[in-house]
Parts: sequence; C-alpha cells; structure tokens
Amino acid sequence: MVMQQIADGLGVAGVLAIAALGLGIVFGVMKIINMAHGELIMIGAYTTYMVCTVGHLSYYAGMVASFLVAAAVGLLMERFILRRLYGRPLETLLATFGLSIFLQQFIRLVFGPDGKSVSSPFQGTWMIGDVAIPLFRLFIVIVAIVMILVTAWVMFRTRFGMQLRAVTQNRSMSECLGLNTSRIDALTFAFGAGLAGLAGAVLAPIKTVSPSMGLDYLIDSFMVVVLGGIGSLAGTALGSGLLGESNQLMTAFISETGAKMIVFLLVILVIRFRPEGLFRMERR
Amino acid sequence: MRLYNQRIDNVLAVVTLIFLAVFPLLASDFRVELMGKFLVYALFALSLNLVWGYTGLLSLGHAVFFGLGGYMLGLAYSLQNGVPPFMSRFGIEEIPLVMRPLESVPLALLLGILVPGVVAGLIGYFIFTSKVSGTYFSIITLALAMLFEMFVVNMQAYTGGFNGLMGLPRFPVNGEPLPLTTYYFIVLGVTALAYLFTKWLMETHFGKVVKSIREHESRIQFFGYNPARFKIFVFTVSGMLAGLSGMLYVPMNGFISPQDVGVVMSTSVVVWLAIGGRGTLMGPVLGALAVNWLSNLLSEQYPTLWQLFLGAVVVLIVLFLPNGLYGTLEHWWKERSLHRAEKETKAVLLTESKVDLKKARWRA
Repeated sequence: MVMQQIADGLGVAGVLAIAALGLGIVFGVMKIINMAHGELIMIGAYTTYMVCTVGHLSYYAGMVASFLVAAAVGLLMERFILRRLYGRPLETLLATFGLSIFLQQFIRLVFGPDGKSVSSPFQGTWMIGDVAIPLFRLFIVIVAIVMILVTAWVMFRTRFGMQLRAVTQNRSMSECLGLNTSRIDALTFAFGAGLAGLAGAVLAPIKTVSPSMGLDYLIDSFMVVVLGGIGSLAGTALGSGLLGESNQLMTAFISETGAKMIVFLLVILVIRFRPEGLFRMERR
Repeated sequence: MRLYNQRIDNVLAVVTLIFLAVFPLLASDFRVELMGKFLVYALFALSLNLVWGYTGLLSLGHAVFFGLGGYMLGLAYSLQNGVPPFMSRFGIEEIPLVMRPLESVPLALLLGILVPGVVAGLIGYFIFTSKVSGTYFSIITLALAMLFEMFVVNMQAYTGGFNGLMGLPRFPVNGEPLPLTTYYFIVLGVTALAYLFTKWLMETHFGKVVKSIREHESRIQFFGYNPARFKIFVFTVSGMLAGLSGMLYVPMNGFISPQDVGVVMSTSVVVWLAIGGRGTLMGPVLGALAVNWLSNLLSEQYPTLWQLFLGAVVVLIVLFLPNGLYGTLEHWWKERSLHRAEKETKAVLLTESKVDLKKARWRA
C-alpha cells in the first residue's frame, strides 16, 4: 500500500519536474516571472495532438515538434515583449499574464473549447510484487531524469551554457568581453520555453488537452522551483520529488485537494522562512 | 500644478457620479442591476489600487478577501431559515458552532469586513516582515487564491461547494428585500465614499510615506520609517475594503460561487486596474466600469475574440502605456497645464519687469 503510494508519487514527481524545468531556467536563471509558462506547456500539448492524433505520426516526432514550436513561440515572446521589460519584474509579470490570456483564447479560437486526447504510446503496467506501475508513468520518470541531465549538460558542459551562466552572473562584464548578451537572453528563454513545450508533449497522453490546462501547472511549477531554490537545477529535481511524494503519500490519508492544500501551505511557509529554497546552501 | 492636476480628477469624478446617479432613471432594471454589479467591481478595484497602485505590491489573490466578505453575508442569508438544504444534504442537522454568529445578519455584516481584514493583516504580517521580495508576494497571493477556491469547493457541506450559494435576497430589511434602485444607490454611495477615502488617505502624511515605499523602499527606510508596518496596514485596509465589496456583491448578484473568489476574479481585477490606470484615483473606477461594459456588450457575441482582445490590450498597455488609460490622460493633462502655467508666469514676469523699467526711468 505504502509502496504503491511511493511509486505513484514518483510519477507525480516526474510530471512536476518536467513541468517545472522550463520555469527553472526562465525564472531561476533569468529571473523572469513568466505567467505564460502554463500556456507554453499547453501549446506543446496541442502540437503533440496535431502531430500524433491528427497527423498520425510517431509520438517521438510529437515530442520534437512541441519542443520546437514552443521554443519558437518563446523566441517571439522574448523578442517583442520581454526584452523591453528586463529589470522590471512586476511589469514582466503583468505582460506575460496578458499574453497567457491571449494565447489561451487564441488556441480556443483555433481548436475550440473542448478537450482533445492524445493516446499513450505505452500501454500496460509493470508489476513488482504488489506494486503496479503503468509503463507510461515509468516513461515519464525516465524522461524527467533524461531532461534534467540534458539540461545540466547544456548548462555546464556546452559553450552556450557557459555564456548563459556568465551573462546571469555579470551582464556588463560579459558584454565587455564580447558576448552578444541579447542573443543569449533570447536563446535562453527559447530553451526554457522549449522545455515547457516538451512538458506539454509528455503530459498530453495523461491529461485532457484543453486551452485552460496551463494554470495548474503554472502554480505547481512555481512551487517546485521556489521550494528547490531558484537557479538550482538539482533543487528543481529535489523539489519536484519532495512535492510529488509528499502530495501522493498524504492522499493515502486525506482527500486529494486536502493534500494539495496542505502541501501548498507548507511551501508558502518555506518561501517565508527560506526564500532561497530548501536545497540551497549559500545565501544570495 | 497641484490645482490643475486635481481639477481633472474632480471634474471627472463629479461627471461620473452624476451619470451614475441619473442612470437608474433612464435605464431598464436589467441594466441597472448590471451597472450595480460593475460598481461593486469598481469598489473592488479601488481596494486593490491601495496595495498595487499606491504601495506597489501586486496582489494576485485579492478575490480571497472579496470572497471572504461575500461568503460571510451569503452564508448569513442562507442560515436565516434554519439549516440550509446544501447542509442537510450531508446529514448536518444543526448549524455548526463556528457558523452560529452568522445567524445574525448585522453581526455578519461586521464580520464580512473584520474577517477579511484580520486575514489580510495576518498574511501581510507573515509576508512583509520577511525578506520576501515583491514578485514572491505575487506568487504567494496567487497560490492563496487557488487554495481558497479549492477550499470553498471542497467544503461542500458548509459552503455549497462548486455551485455556490444561490437564491440570496437583496438586502432584506424587516423581511422585505430592498428595491433595486435603493440598493443601487447604497452601492453607489459606498463606492463614492471609498473613492473619497482613497483620496484623503493618499493626501495625508501616511499616504506620502506609502507612495515613497513604492518609489524607493530602502530610501524611506533610511529616514527611519519601517516599511513593513505601513505595508501591513495598507494591506489590511485594502482587505477590509475588498471584503466590503464582496458583501455588496452578494445582494446585487443574488448568488456567489467559488469562481467569484479564486484565481479568475483575482486576475480580472488586476486587468481592470491595469487598463484603467493604477495609482490614480479615477483609473480603477473607470477601468472597472468600461472593461465590464465592453465585456458585457461584446462577450455575448464574440466571447473568445473579446478575451483575445483583452489579453492583447493588457500586453500593449504594459509596453506602451504603463500608467493605464486614465493615468496617461492625467499625465498628459498635467504636462499641458504645467506648460501653460510656465507660459503665464513668463508673461507675468515680463510685464512686471517692464513696469519696473518704467518706474526706474521715471525715477531717474
């Protein structure tokens, strides 16, 4: 029973990690409050729907396409809106919020308000003793781990990642050394947006794809990123693990909404007393 | 400059007040009810304006206070004839002890202001005494709005759940519900008072400190003020005002549901205020009235297009008119009158100097 809850919790944690990773880059590293993060996830999910359900292509093609489409939307967002608002967090928040309404309604206009479904590429469950693990859940956990590792690789082992970290640490110095900081900003945001799109692709088979699906993920993602400590990749991974597991373990005793409420209240307490996150050693 | 600046506010406020006062004489009951509802929204926007417009704290969960006020009065009305159906359906035969005070409507009216105030005060104390920055405040309040909505839906036996509280009477006095127009004027009066209160508060020394917290928090700290205390106080007052607007909403609307107290309502009021102009006196009122009327006219025929348009307008406002429509108008007016005043002073100085010259010559 408890083992089953832990296994389910791992699946929830995987979903959270995937959803939060893009925000971890955008909010954590670039310090941009992107209220349209959930809509980027939603766009990824719709792209998967178009590729897989309408286009009858493979699920993996859907994943690649959603990364690219969401990254392109992110690039446009950065170019035309966010770039004018750097250093003004509240205004960024408001503009991206307006954008989230816009994107939601745009998708509603094109695809209609009713939910779409994407069939899961993996059917069946895997049994370990009494514990049942749906294969797609397992797939989600693996994708989450791979995504975190790839992001870590991009951030710490590539030239782009080095430039990105240099710009966030000392913008004017990087500029003096000849880095094109505005290009790096744009690419970073596009990368974060692409990760959100990928999250949409992974979530599409387990959730109903609808124009308003983004909001829940927005708040969940913020909670994960803040809990783990902003700007820390490992923190995002651990934060999603903690959030997913505690949520799922509590549903063994109380209702799902009750569990979610308690977990959220705990996260708010954490923000209050440790704004730098649970898993961050040094103080900002 | 001060004089010119105030004139446009006063003129617009009086014109709006006159328009709203004669509105029930000209329009159908249906429209009066709508306008009454939008007036409640204007009051709600005024409450958010205190925190966001003047203090620079963007609360994304203000509907929590609106909802607390609204549900206090809504529950009070529901409890008037003993245990309401949504409770008895869950086998509750007695009104729970916690809700006993709500059996008395006057007490509920008091609680509808006090409870949101206390909750806002506690949240404010909790957040502002830490080093949590502005954006975290927004995220926390957004999460609170979501939590509160979930809470109301989840406590179905006590709040009516997803369907909310229905069939609420229009502010009955001695068992008779008030006529629509009378209630409309009560709402108008309260909104006008809230407007005057905002105007007065922001002209006091307190208001100046609050505005300087928005402009430069650390500088005001060096002067020996404690910004946290000011923020907590403003947030509490704003919460009480939002609770009041929630209470006025219930008799006008006839029902209250979780959608009115959660994320959707919280973000809507932010949109009205952003479009109208935050940190101005008439911005919230005109923003709430105009956006809601337009929304009402257009959303029946083009619901999706209207929302699409609204989203785009918010983005454009943030990019190009950060003070909102009214804020921009006010700014333009200020510049113009400043320019005029400058010209006038120059002219006066010029004639004076000529007179002096003549005098000087005459003396010589």
